[in-house]
Amino acid sequence: MAASTTAPTASTASSSPMAFFLQGETGRNTRGLLRLIILCTIAAAAVASRLFSVIRFESIIHEFDPWFNFRATKYLVNHGFYAFWDWFDDRTWHPLGRVTGGTLYPGLMVTSGSIYHLLRFLTLPVDIRNICVLLAPACSGLTAFASYLFTSEMSDSPSAGLLAAIFMGIAPGYISRSVAGSYDNEAIAIFLLVFTFYLWIKAVKVGSIMWGALTALFYGYMVSAWGGYVFITNLLPLHAFVLICMGRFSPRLYVSYTTWYALGTLASMQIPFVGFLPIRSSDHMAALGVFGLTQLVGAAEYLRSQLPSKQFQTVIRSAVLLIFVVAFGGLVLLTVSGVVAPWSGRFYSLWDTGYAKIHIPIIASVSEHQPTAWPAFFFDLNMLIWLFPAGVYMCFRKLKDEQVFIVIYAVLASYFAGVMVRLMLTLTPVVCVAAAMALSQILDTFLVASAPTENDADTKQANGTPAGANGSIADKLSSALPDTLRSTKSPLVGIYSYLSKSLITGAITSYLLLFVLHCTWVTSNAYSSPSVVLASRLPDGSQHIIDDYREAYYWLRQNTEPTAKVMSWWDYGYQIGGMADRPTLVDNNTWNNTHIATVGKAMSSREEVSYPIMKQHEVDYVLVVFGGLLGYSGDDINKFLWMVRIAEGIWPDEVKERDFFTQRGEYRVDDQATPTMRNSLMYKMSYYNYNSLFPAGQAMDRVRGSKLPADGPQLSTVEEAFTSENWIIRIYKVKDFDNLGRNHQDATAFEKGNKRKKTSAKRRGARVLRVD
Amino acid sequence: MEMRLLLSLLLAGLVSTVAALSAQGSKLLVVLEDESEKSRYSQFWTDLEDRGFQLTYRTPKDPQLSLFRHGEPAYSHLLLLPPGKGTKGLGPNLTPNLLVDFISAGSNVLMALSGEQSIPSAVSSLLLEFDISLPPDRNSMVVDHFNYDSSSAKESHDVLLLPGKNAGGSKKGVADILSVDGILALPHAVGAVLGNASPLLNSIIKAPATAYTYNPKEEQEGVEDVFATGDQLSLVTAFQARNSARFTLLGSVEALQDAWFDTTVQHSAPGSKSEQAANRAFAQKLTGWTFKELGVVKAGPVTHFLNEGSQQNTSDLTTLSDINPSIYRINTEVHYTIELSTWSVDHWVPFTPPASDAVQLEFSMLSPFHRLNLAPTTTPANPNASLFTATFTLPDQHGIFNFFVEYRRPYLTNIEEKRTVTVRHFAHDEYPRSFVIMAAYPWITGIWTTVAGFVGFCALWLYSRPEKERVELKVKEAGGR
Repeated sequence: MAASTTAPTASTASSSPMAFFLQGETGRNTRGLLRLIILCTIAAAAVASRLFSVIRFESIIHEFDPWFNFRATKYLVNHGFYAFWDWFDDRTWHPLGRVTGGTLYPGLMVTSGSIYHLLRFLTLPVDIRNICVLLAPACSGLTAFASYLFTSEMSDSPSAGLLAAIFMGIAPGYISRSVAGSYDNEAIAIFLLVFTFYLWIKAVKVGSIMWGALTALFYGYMVSAWGGYVFITNLLPLHAFVLICMGRFSPRLYVSYTTWYALGTLASMQIPFVGFLPIRSSDHMAALGVFGLTQLVGAAEYLRSQLPSKQFQTVIRSAVLLIFVVAFGGLVLLTVSGVVAPWSGRFYSLWDTGYAKIHIPIIASVSEHQPTAWPAFFFDLNMLIWLFPAGVYMCFRKLKDEQVFIVIYAVLASYFAGVMVRLMLTLTPVVCVAAAMALSQILDTFLVASAPTENDADTKQANGTPAGANGSIADKLSSALPDTLRSTKSPLVGIYSYLSKSLITGAITSYLLLFVLHCTWVTSNAYSSPSVVLASRLPDGSQHIIDDYREAYYWLRQNTEPTAKVMSWWDYGYQIGGMADRPTLVDNNTWNNTHIATVGKAMSSREEVSYPIMKQHEVDYVLVVFGGLLGYSGDDINKFLWMVRIAEGIWPDEVKERDFFTQRGEYRVDDQATPTMRNSLMYKMSYYNYNSLFPAGQAMDRVRGSKLPADGPQLSTVEEAFTSENWIIRIYKVKDFDNLGRNHQDATAFEKGNKRKKTSAKRRGARVLRVD
Repeated sequence: MEMRLLLSLLLAGLVSTVAALSAQGSKLLVVLEDESEKSRYSQFWTDLEDRGFQLTYRTPKDPQLSLFRHGEPAYSHLLLLPPGKGTKGLGPNLTPNLLVDFISAGSNVLMALSGEQSIPSAVSSLLLEFDISLPPDRNSMVVDHFNYDSSSAKESHDVLLLPGKNAGGSKKGVADILSVDGILALPHAVGAVLGNASPLLNSIIKAPATAYTYNPKEEQEGVEDVFATGDQLSLVTAFQARNSARFTLLGSVEALQDAWFDTTVQHSAPGSKSEQAANRAFAQKLTGWTFKELGVVKAGPVTHFLNEGSQQNTSDLTTLSDINPSIYRINTEVHYTIELSTWSVDHWVPFTPPASDAVQLEFSMLSPFHRLNLAPTTTPANPNASLFTATFTLPDQHGIFNFFVEYRRPYLTNIEEKRTVTVRHFAHDEYPRSFVIMAAYPWITGIWTTVAGFVGFCALWLYSRPEKERVELKVKEAGGR
């Protein structure tokens, strides 16, 4: 923001000492230095605003996925790179295991591992946990810098880049995934995304192999870091394709695109998880197709320049079209025949928001895959969201190759962000860039102290020195407006009144201040909770930490066998692996739907059905999350229907979602709950002994707000092992087979002193004979 | 367990050096209704004491009677004689729950019943936990009009005579542990019906096909709703819990009495001679089995190793560099060995499974990928155990697998040995290199041709590029900007 004030007014020749620093060669240096200082300050602000979580809570890894990344990083640091590359993880997905080294994006772990080793080499031994916690804020500083570079390529305005940098630095849409402790792939991926785009624009502008190769290099890095690389893989070809369709094919485009595609594809294939996907999956076919198209168009252009015959050109054109159609048909054929993998389910769910709910409940069940609520746009982007269309409009005014890119990016990203909450992240950079372009235009127009002079444009053109900001606007305008009218040849535009100048400037300043306030507020209140540790306020306003998760995980770590298998819903798999260091059946990787459905079935069935499943999978402990006592709504009973749905997807005859709803279609846990619900293992484990906390008949579930039945559920195949302070985590131990070969219901009844009823021969009907 | 075993061995060694010893312990508690009953079984007691058991006699009402001491079983074995007339149970110290706990703690119980005395409901309900049902009529006993002792039960037909060689069943593949020569006399036996589902139950002696339950006190001519008949009636029943604790139900306590040890019996079938009853030998076998002198198998060390490279076909395991690794790779060959020994009188000897039976190894993840018969071998280096070995190739599936030997057979203690190993995928550098694979040659040729072509083209291009034009081009380009 401050950058715009450095724009000098060249026409006013001043003899003050300041003039020395603001004019000529020195002036350029001064501005460069200021720019650098401003960028550094922006980076510092970006980092600082992400440290709320460390200050409020502690230096801790957040949420779910980061715990796996953290565990993998520790493995990398302890065992070395090759062991990590070939890592077979036998502590997840028991008993299937996971070829972890080949099914993850290693970029994040390798980055932190390298930083760790670099710091050690510099004799600065820093704990790997702190590196992991602070990686995301550090990268956000770089992202701000990258968006400065990116925007500077788009706009001539000196302030646009700096504005984009600061927007990127503090926009909540990006902060949401990059606070300290949020050690996820997105932490470095957004930096790589923006930087790759910058390099691509540079490559298209310059048309050099070097920039193309650099694009490919960072694209390769991006592929190694995040599955969202597919966005780049499709956006760059789309850009190239649109440019070709606009008739803007040029050797620059040819060189940059082919360089990027060839090197980038090779680079991406080095990641084991990606492997041959770039040539086998539909998601990557667009890039391949455009690659072929550029070759054809390139050849055609060459021929056209050699053979000026008009007829020959039409022949060439039709040939290009024909080949394109044939190639497309061939691709469709390959897809149908199965050589090329069809689009993945996640991809379909981008176009049809209802698709996942019906076909892949496992994808739909993830909260961050839900469609975005409209207020979220304002919440995450504040005033940028209304500056965004203005910025896109400005791109249309001067539609060069790079502006086309912004337009395409804006259209695609806004659509995707509307479909999936998570993709707000990819929208944020383009919103920042577009908003910065719009805002810089306003500032450039209104922040000039002097009124424009009415000297004619011709003199300026002849001098070759544009007369400051006003002149440059006039230039821009004249270049944008058609040359047909005499009056528009040298338009006289500018703001003359100081009142309107100060009014607009004041308004914008206050908007910016409000924006900063909003960003700070959102960051500190919405996005800085580690979700491993919950915070609440006591009546006196002081902060009270609810630490049940860690309490339970450390209980597991200290009181169970190191090989004790823990069954829980997949949400907690990574945390159990990371904090409790115990093998789990399923985790957030969700690569095996059947295995997750098995756990879902065990949770949603009767004990007699669940027990053999648990024994077969060698489960020792079952962990459930129960928020009823505290009113913690993210508990397993609320997630229960997803378990049922996922299990129903595999065993439609044994698990039925309808059975968990009452006659009137309500999902209830009180005495109106259906027998299926009340007999399910999950229900029993959640409410086991819960009655004992309350006076008789007063048991209350504070999440569902319902009164519980007077008689609590009875358990026979599992026994309570641990319940955390606020009952959020409950751990049950799975009993061994009964020593006398009875079923557990009978054994429990016997222990309680109930005599077994002798079934009389008459009631039994036909006598069952023993066959030896 | 190990400790107790060792201790009991030591103790047994000190106490006596006679015939047989229990593999588990020598402390035997005898619960009888009255001290006066003791004298009726004097030969039986002597036999037990000769075999090294330390007998403690208690009556159910004895305040000193307690199965547990400091939470641990106070005795290794328990012998329950039928409670007296009119009692509802076995007293507060022998409730069904305590007895089940006693068994769950690994101790063995021999329970004897008699058709002469009515059976208390506590006993019936305890037996129901083992899936053994007694006749609802508490005074009924088994009678057989074709297999009775014509010398002692000419009228009542309630002393059954059965061939001793059938004891323990004579099925194929089942260890023959309990059979005796001669004929057994089972007077006033209580017949039990065994549940169909439990694999832990086995009938040692079944009633003959012509037997049925009958209450002599009702003095009816015919029986209308008979509880059970024929070989559905089990006279002597063996139950071995999952922890190998043994529970034996003897339907006829009189069979252990001195009177029936010495007596001569005569089978009702015409033309049969009178002969000495084999009750004494059978009592020895029955107590021997129940109190873990017979049919005790234990597993020794388990070893598995990669049967490849320098370790291939190693016979001397001490030379192995990597024994019992926790991780293998798919498709490698693995050697597995388990030591099994069985208890013989007072020491461990190599175990051999019964004919037409085999110890099996499962290599399983969720379900077995291999189920192999293990080949027994004995080595002079280890005279106390036989080695059961198998060599096989790991499946082409990575995951967490178990080497699982589960050997559960009637009358033998359970063997359950599970060793968990990880089977990993190929590491990135374990695949054959491309130049080793013949089929890859066209591709390799293609790569190098392209490389050579590219370099050649560049060289040609640089060599043949006219110097002059370049300058012109640059100027043109600059002008264009």
